[in-house]
Amino acid sequence: MSLVAEAFVSQIAAAEPWPENATLYQQLKGEQILLSDNAASLAVQAFLQMCNLPIKVVCRANAEYMSPSGKVPFIHVGNQVVSELGPIVQFVKAKGHSLSDGLGEVQKAEMKAYMELVNNMLLTAELYLQWCDEATVGEITHARYGSPYPWPLNHILAYQKQWEVKRKMKAIGWGKKTLDQVLEDVDQCCQALSQRLGTQPYFFNKQPTELDALVFGHLYTILTTQLTNDELSEKIPLPDTW
Amino acid sequence: KMAAPMELFCWSGGWGLPSVDLDSLAVLTYARFTGAPLKVHKISNPWRSPSGTLPALRTSHGEVISVPHKIITHLRKEKYNADYDLSARQGADTLAFMSLLEEKLLPVLVHTFWIDTKNYVEVTRKWYAEAMPFPLNFFLPGRMQRQYMERLELLSGEHMPEDEEELEKELYREARECLTLLSQRLGSQKFFFGDAPASLDAFVFSYLALLLQAKLPSGKLQAHLRGLHNLCAYCTHILSLYFPWDGAEVPPPRQTPAGPETEEEPYRRRNQILSVLAGLAAMVGYALLSGIVSIQRATPARAPGTRALGMAEEDEEE
Repeated sequence: MSLVAEAFVSQIAAAEPWPENATLYQQLKGEQILLSDNAASLAVQAFLQMCNLPIKVVCRANAEYMSPSGKVPFIHVGNQVVSELGPIVQFVKAKGHSLSDGLGEVQKAEMKAYMELVNNMLLTAELYLQWCDEATVGEITHARYGSPYPWPLNHILAYQKQWEVKRKMKAIGWGKKTLDQVLEDVDQCCQALSQRLGTQPYFFNKQPTELDALVFGHLYTILTTQLTNDELSEKIPLPDTW
Repeated sequence: KMAAPMELFCWSGGWGLPSVDLDSLAVLTYARFTGAPLKVHKISNPWRSPSGTLPALRTSHGEVISVPHKIITHLRKEKYNADYDLSARQGADTLAFMSLLEEKLLPVLVHTFWIDTKNYVEVTRKWYAEAMPFPLNFFLPGRMQRQYMERLELLSGEHMPEDEEELEKELYREARECLTLLSQRLGSQKFFFGDAPASLDAFVFSYLALLLQAKLPSGKLQAHLRGLHNLCAYCTHILSLYFPWDGAEVPPPRQTPAGPETEEEPYRRRNQILSVLAGLAAMVGYALLSGIVSIQRATPARAPGTRALGMAEEDEEE
């Protein structure tokens, strides 16, 4: 959003309190939604729960296309639609709810950096696994992604998305990576998060922040989603973190 | 028996820096931090590098590595490790801040040097075209620009901007935020993790140095960066400490503006004269060949008459 539009949105957002009928849209839970989108959606839900803001989850097959930025999840609050965790956090902040206000400058910098780490490594690894690992693609992703659509649309859309994701992977240098290298990166990322967390209940102070919501969303999804190989979930150093 | 020393191929220096390319600069800086004994080849022709791209490291076993992170990992394996003294927590912070740099600062750096028209034409393309040998200087800068453009599109295409201007504003806003965050994290320390430089410092330095030193005509981010005094001091500190000779290239720019011009002057004059002569020769040649002007050998007495006749004949022909 441009600065002017953002200021405008903040003004409008600040004017109204959080309504009771706020809804979050994502793809169909049982048959359609994929690992990465599920993680993102869960992260947003966790964040809103931590802020004590009520939200209703609605599943739509075309959620991806309804979203203003093409990504799920997105929330519909009053007469505004905001997608992705970053903008949602800002939107919620404009309404007067924030989890990270109590943090110092250095801690805020660290929080942002760690959120980028999760996006950079975990999310990209999830995308890689879903779309570039042939076994997973064939058995799970294609079938799930195209499930709400009739033939041949389901194949076409799935291939299109796969091509898009593969291009992006190539652009950021992950195109030549093997599955093992990707899993190594995930390992590194989890080690880093584990180090940062230490023995505290949350990443910063005793209060959860958006970083906790994001990490929770990804970790929980990875641990509980059935994939063709369980190597991804095995990389998560288990329960003393959660 | 000594193995062959490691050789690093990287882009040569310019704008007061040891290298003009982000990745090359980061790897060079890391090598200087750790005192790794590298044989550095500063070249401006990527086709002469063993991997076809720059930077590239040829290890002592002849293997060629070209991904900057992998180069640094290899140096670490060879016991040149700048992160040796870091705690696990600091190592984790390193990963996190590197992700921050890649996500927020890299797109803007690419945009500033390769996409912004003024900067690209007056600074980037000029340097690369002048540095590269013939005939690469004709097509390689353009090709590099297209590659960078594509990469930027893919990276930020997720946000599906309505138009380019909005995308630009958003990119630059996030970059400014990132710089401010870095400044806050650095505080008043000498390096990010205390008194000794680590790999994170090498990468942050390469970003900041490029943004600060290059004389960009449209330097929106530069202005913001100059306002963050601790980052500027950090940059100059590293430059003076680890690249004293290359850093010394900075004062000469005062004298060189006169230099290149006086060097170019005789060439320019000579080129002007040559082109005028060539033009004249072409015109005279054409005139002679097509018969507009003909040189006839005639006896001196009859010369004016025949000449007049000759021209009259041609007028009739035409």
